[in-house]
Amino acid sequence: MSTSMSAPTATPALREAPGSVPRAGVRRWRRGVGHLGRVAIGLVLLVAGVLKGLDPAEFAHQVAGYGLLEPRLSSVIAPALIVFEITLAVALLAGAWPRLSVLLSLVLLFGFIGIEAYGLSVGRTEACGCFGAYVQRTPAEVIGEDLLFAGLALLALWGLAGWAGVRARRAATALAATVVLSIVFVVASPSLPIDAYVTRLSVGKSLKDLDLKDRVPVLAAGRHLVVLLDVSDPGAAGTAAVFNAMAARPGAPGIVGLTPSTEQEIDTFLWSAVPAFEIHRVDRDVIKRLYRKLPRCFLIDGGRVTAVYDGAPPGAEELLSSEAS
Amino acid sequence: MNVGLPAVRKLGSLVVALAGLCAAARAGAGAILCIPNYDYSVEVDGSYPRNATLYQSDSPGKYFIDVPACKNGLLMDLHDKRVVAVPRDLVKPVDGKLQVSDSPPSGATAYALSVDGPIVQFQAEDRKVRILRCLDRPPIVGEVEFNALIADRAEYREAMKVYAPDAASIARMNKYVKKVQLDVFFATWCPHCKEYMPKFLRVMSEVKNPNIKLNLYGVPKGFGVAPGPWQGRNINSIPTIIVKIDGKEITRMGSQPGATPEVELAGTLDAVK
Repeated sequence: MSTSMSAPTATPALREAPGSVPRAGVRRWRRGVGHLGRVAIGLVLLVAGVLKGLDPAEFAHQVAGYGLLEPRLSSVIAPALIVFEITLAVALLAGAWPRLSVLLSLVLLFGFIGIEAYGLSVGRTEACGCFGAYVQRTPAEVIGEDLLFAGLALLALWGLAGWAGVRARRAATALAATVVLSIVFVVASPSLPIDAYVTRLSVGKSLKDLDLKDRVPVLAAGRHLVVLLDVSDPGAAGTAAVFNAMAARPGAPGIVGLTPSTEQEIDTFLWSAVPAFEIHRVDRDVIKRLYRKLPRCFLIDGGRVTAVYDGAPPGAEELLSSEAS
Repeated sequence: MNVGLPAVRKLGSLVVALAGLCAAARAGAGAILCIPNYDYSVEVDGSYPRNATLYQSDSPGKYFIDVPACKNGLLMDLHDKRVVAVPRDLVKPVDGKLQVSDSPPSGATAYALSVDGPIVQFQAEDRKVRILRCLDRPPIVGEVEFNALIADRAEYREAMKVYAPDAASIARMNKYVKKVQLDVFFATWCPHCKEYMPKFLRVMSEVKNPNIKLNLYGVPKGFGVAPGPWQGRNINSIPTIIVKIDGKEITRMGSQPGATPEVELAGTLDAVK
């Protein structure tokens, strides 16, 4: 039996690289396993890249949190890593330079494992950010997952021996398009109106859903406008002035500020911006699930979210009228 | 014009009522209600007088500062960036709060304040006053007596007052007959200790059992490398309470949300009869 007789015929674009291949049945089975591993790793990397791309700034923050890179360098490396991950995923899914793609994904996975092992060695317990800010696992869980993915990649490497994938020109075109599209995605995603879908905060959610029930019990009863803000941001004083004016309006809901900033930053803000509302510190890993960009506000009535305001704070008229309704 | 006596009486009553209303309005206007805020400490000339207290008012940006050594009370207005001396006769206790006149007499002395990061500072009556978060005060380091600790730290002292320990657990601890030693490692800069220690100290203030001995150790920042009694005892987090019964370490206690130290401690003692 010659190798040409049993070569895949489903897609003419696929080419067979020369090399010794065992019997057809075994070879087909082995190739199938390889494709399965390739597609699985491709999907994993695609999901991971897209989820990270939903909040590139947070991923940059998480990368900086390992202390291996300067924050400024992290803000460049993190988006580049997202683009690389998505491009590698598309390369794997499309079958572009399969051996190289699988090898690169192995390098990426072992790189992640090494970083997580370093994080564990220095006592880091925070979420890794591998699947973005809204999926949280510990470094140990991540290492386990990455080892599993690396196993899939090794299977792909073994199973795809001798398979050359799609034609180089077609692969290059697909990857160039992916690079461009993923850059556009990373740049544009913070402005996309998808916060309701990618964060925990949306209309109808309860305090328990937001993990704020025990942390900010004052929100359990009555009507409050909650402002999520970074008090160390230079624009926070302006935000406070807007809400101070709102708080002074008769009939306005009680205003409560929530921030991931430190106690020292809160004090600096209290003394200098003089907010007319209480500010509570909430652990960053809890509050981060509620926003992509700050400030973000929501109205809560009887412990349940009734309105969410992205970006610009709501007008006082709107708040007063919503109370009337 | 003939005006009857009843009409004159009515008019008189009306005038008196109006005058009363005006007086009441004048007295109420310009008064703010203030409650103590023990999350902050008042530093006076580098030390922390026991009763120097920051009061938070119901008017945003206004705080009353009581420095016992100062002749006047001090009304801090963050909007105006100044502190105004308020004669103490314009400060009245009302239902556990202070009612402070918001319109000090004309010519009242005013002092400029400055904000230096998380600290507010000003000079009043020749005293340098700083307002800072209690956790940012220089920490207590090393062994400290129970009374000295609660005398020094208002945030512990005041939070102790509002904690009500489980009476049954206290009674069980009071009846315990074995020798118990509690080595408590805590930090005055640690927010978890600020929540937990007042509860624990309140419990220990109610336990009247000579068999239970308490040793308190204030831990510095960076205690992992700083020398002190916490070294070599495998202290990885604070607060850590090492419970020894008859000289043998039985367990360690630490803080967690909703912790009830007396219940946990009584349970431990019950387990080692």
